[in-house]
Amino acid sequence: MITAGLLMAVTFAAALLAVTLRNVLHAIFGLAVALLGIAGIFITLGSPFVAAMEVLVYVGGISVAMVFAVMLSTVVARQDEGGRRRVWAGLAALGFFAAMALVITRADFGPDSDPSEQAWAVAEIGGDLLTHYNVVFEALSLVLLIAIVGAVAISRREAAASGSARLEPGAIDPDGTGKSDVESEQRGQDA
Amino acid sequence: MTLPAFTMFALLLFCMGLYAVLARRNLIAILIGIELMLNAASVNFMAFNYFVAPDPAVGQIIVLFIIGLAAAEVAIALSIILAVYRQRRAIDIEQLTEVKG
Amino acid sequence: MSYETWALALLFAPLLGFFLALVVFRDRHNVAAAIVIAAGSVSAAASILLCVGGPQPTVSARWFHIGDITIAFGVLLDSRTLLMGAVVGVITLCIQIYSLGYMAHDPGKGRFFGFLALFEWAMLSFVYAPNLLQTFIFWELVGLASFLLIGFWYQKPSAVAAAKKAFIMTRIGDIGLFVGLILLFRATDTLDIESILTLYAGSSAGGAPTEIIAALLFMGIVGKSAQFPLHTWLPDAMEGPTPVSALLHSATMVAAGVFLFARFHELFMAAETTRMAALAIATFTAILASTMAVVARDMKRILAFSSISQLGFMLMGLAAGSLFAGYFHLTTHAFFKALLFLVAGAFIHRCGSNDIVAIGRQGAARTMKVTTFGLIVGGVALAGIPPLSGFFSKEQIIASLGQASPIIVAGAYAAAFLTAYYTFRMIFLVTRPDPESAAQPAGPADPDHAHGEPTWAMNGPILLLSLITLLISALSAGALVGAMSEDPIASILGQASHHASIAEMAPAIAIAILGAVLAFFEFGKKGAAQTGIVARMPGLERLLANRWYIDAIYRHTLVALATGIARVSHGVETRGFDGGADKVADATVASGRQVARRHSGRLQLYIGGAAILFALAVVFLGFRG
Repeated sequence: MITAGLLMAVTFAAALLAVTLRNVLHAIFGLAVALLGIAGIFITLGSPFVAAMEVLVYVGGISVAMVFAVMLSTVVARQDEGGRRRVWAGLAALGFFAAMALVITRADFGPDSDPSEQAWAVAEIGGDLLTHYNVVFEALSLVLLIAIVGAVAISRREAAASGSARLEPGAIDPDGTGKSDVESEQRGQDA
Repeated sequence: MTLPAFTMFALLLFCMGLYAVLARRNLIAILIGIELMLNAASVNFMAFNYFVAPDPAVGQIIVLFIIGLAAAEVAIALSIILAVYRQRRAIDIEQLTEVKG
Repeated sequence: MSYETWALALLFAPLLGFFLALVVFRDRHNVAAAIVIAAGSVSAAASILLCVGGPQPTVSARWFHIGDITIAFGVLLDSRTLLMGAVVGVITLCIQIYSLGYMAHDPGKGRFFGFLALFEWAMLSFVYAPNLLQTFIFWELVGLASFLLIGFWYQKPSAVAAAKKAFIMTRIGDIGLFVGLILLFRATDTLDIESILTLYAGSSAGGAPTEIIAALLFMGIVGKSAQFPLHTWLPDAMEGPTPVSALLHSATMVAAGVFLFARFHELFMAAETTRMAALAIATFTAILASTMAVVARDMKRILAFSSISQLGFMLMGLAAGSLFAGYFHLTTHAFFKALLFLVAGAFIHRCGSNDIVAIGRQGAARTMKVTTFGLIVGGVALAGIPPLSGFFSKEQIIASLGQASPIIVAGAYAAAFLTAYYTFRMIFLVTRPDPESAAQPAGPADPDHAHGEPTWAMNGPILLLSLITLLISALSAGALVGAMSEDPIASILGQASHHASIAEMAPAIAIAILGAVLAFFEFGKKGAAQTGIVARMPGLERLLANRWYIDAIYRHTLVALATGIARVSHGVETRGFDGGADKVADATVASGRQVARRHSGRLQLYIGGAAILFALAVVFLGFRG
């Protein structure tokens, strides 16, 4: 359980960095560390499989995608937030925290079951996924598919529109907007 | 380390995410906040699953779903952010106020 | 065949004819006409057979229930409906056949016949109605059919105006009728006419509720039967084709009002005050209308005024308490007035003019033997000269006035005198024209509308109606001299006729003959000036010719008032209601703008607000219990 406390501390620190660092790229790295910490917490909570998934998808996929996005939108790596803005946001978050903490401390979670004996096979999760939660599982796969198609579609169309809009007035473009399209398509794929 | 401790930690994580969503101007930074909030929820699920659930597979499966949905969400969000950026040359949320009355 | 079959055939034949003629065969004029006439024949035959067969139980079918009240549609076969139904059936058939000739060249012939069938259906259903609801529905349908037929030549603005006027004027009365019927229903708890009549039969003083009901019903009758003060629509209704006028004035539209009075005779008898008021109104109308007829030169208008006046007579008889007298006059009048209108139509058809002087100048009377015969039969009957039918019925009415005030009796005599006078004025001007007399310039003749000599289709009905008039005259005369035990119409009605001796009839005979003689000296005698006594008094003539300025008074008071009210309402509508609605809309838009201004579009403010609200809600919910 000391491990768990340690992991929490690391995660907390990394998350704090992730939300405060001016440089978005740094913030993403902070996030990645925090996500790794959370994966560790998942292991202490007895589920190395979910922890592995967390690392794979979040750290390996989402964080990397974010980094790509930051790289593509070059001018905005650093942005200044006004002090007042931070204060108000902090107050709101603190207020929220206070309210919820009050509820948590007063809540009765019931008797803990004995967690130490529980050993979960990945096979059980897989079986449940493909039997009891089959419909949700398939629905989720559909959502992912649509998300991918949608993401590609959005970046392509916007790219095409902005690509032609970006042509200099009077500039000769012998291929019409073809060139810009190819460019933006590539960008979309990168994204 | 008991259930309230994990819950408190998850709340802390969530509030940090909330802070990022409220305070940051960069769309990607806001997305980071959202990810933190999602993970806070995941931690909660895992903790409740570990400590009180009779069937220990359920919470994990939900966390898997959350991860999957988060992946989809990030894919869409990033492509929107890029599209916005291409159109405006900026991803500052202060400039995205078309829906104002 | 059983009487039920006839009763149903009676009602459904015209309905079917109406549908086929108007919907299916409207543009195939002769097919439509044939269908309608066939339907009319069925109805006429059925009504006569039923009439001969005597009263039978009501034939009815349930329509729907409301609580304990059953609404039925059906055919009430008592003495009153049987007689009236036969009159309607026969006259309608005559007029339909006549229309074959009169409307032969009209482009809207199919539509015309369709409307005729509708008219017949509505009137028959009204007459035979066994309950109040059916009575009211078909009363209104009769009004609608009249409206359609008066405005049949809808390209003519005057016809449209006349149709509108007829509709609106009768509608004023119908408000009263409707309220009256509702009150009657509330008072008696039944819609069934027979039960209602049983309830009121024999009770002489019904008290205030009965008075009110009777007064409201009479309001409807005043509108429908064109009594003062709602009489102004009837002369204008002459804008319709002449067969329509004939139908309107004899057996259908205006007769509906009188029939309603006869239908609810027991009720009116129980309402003493209303009865007296009705008597006064009827008498006044009878005189008023006949004075208007004295100076009129439009043949159809003369007949229209005389209709109003004769309707007054009928209501006098009914209101005085004699169901038979009023009903008898309704019957005889229906035949001779239909006859006179058909005659007028034939003259107009031949000469292309409504002006009696112009018709006379053209010498039409010499060549049109049948028509002239009809004119004389109908005219003499109308004038009340014995031994034709109008005399007997009018005499019955005057006799029934026995207990009434002398003023009423004097009024009746005056109206009878005027009737004889203007009727013979019309006859003499048409049949004995004086080409040398320049005193009365002839009205313009319109050769475009002259279609030549009337055909058999027009002469046949004229002859038939003349014969019926003569037949009724003969029957009545027979009853009078004792050849028959009882007047046939009285026996159908199951009412005792008032048997007068010749001596008692003397004043009525004298007054009618006096009127005729005066007309003879002024118009008929060779070398007569052909200017009426009224024409020598310009002020009076102007007054009469302008119909006592009643139309003008209405125009300047009621119509102006209504227009004023409409204008005020319009103002209230546009400024008050519309303006109010606009204000509400403006306020909505303005508040929307205000709220929209608060929408900064800054997502983070929204999210923050949502988070804080959520936290507050959690705290509130979590600490409440």
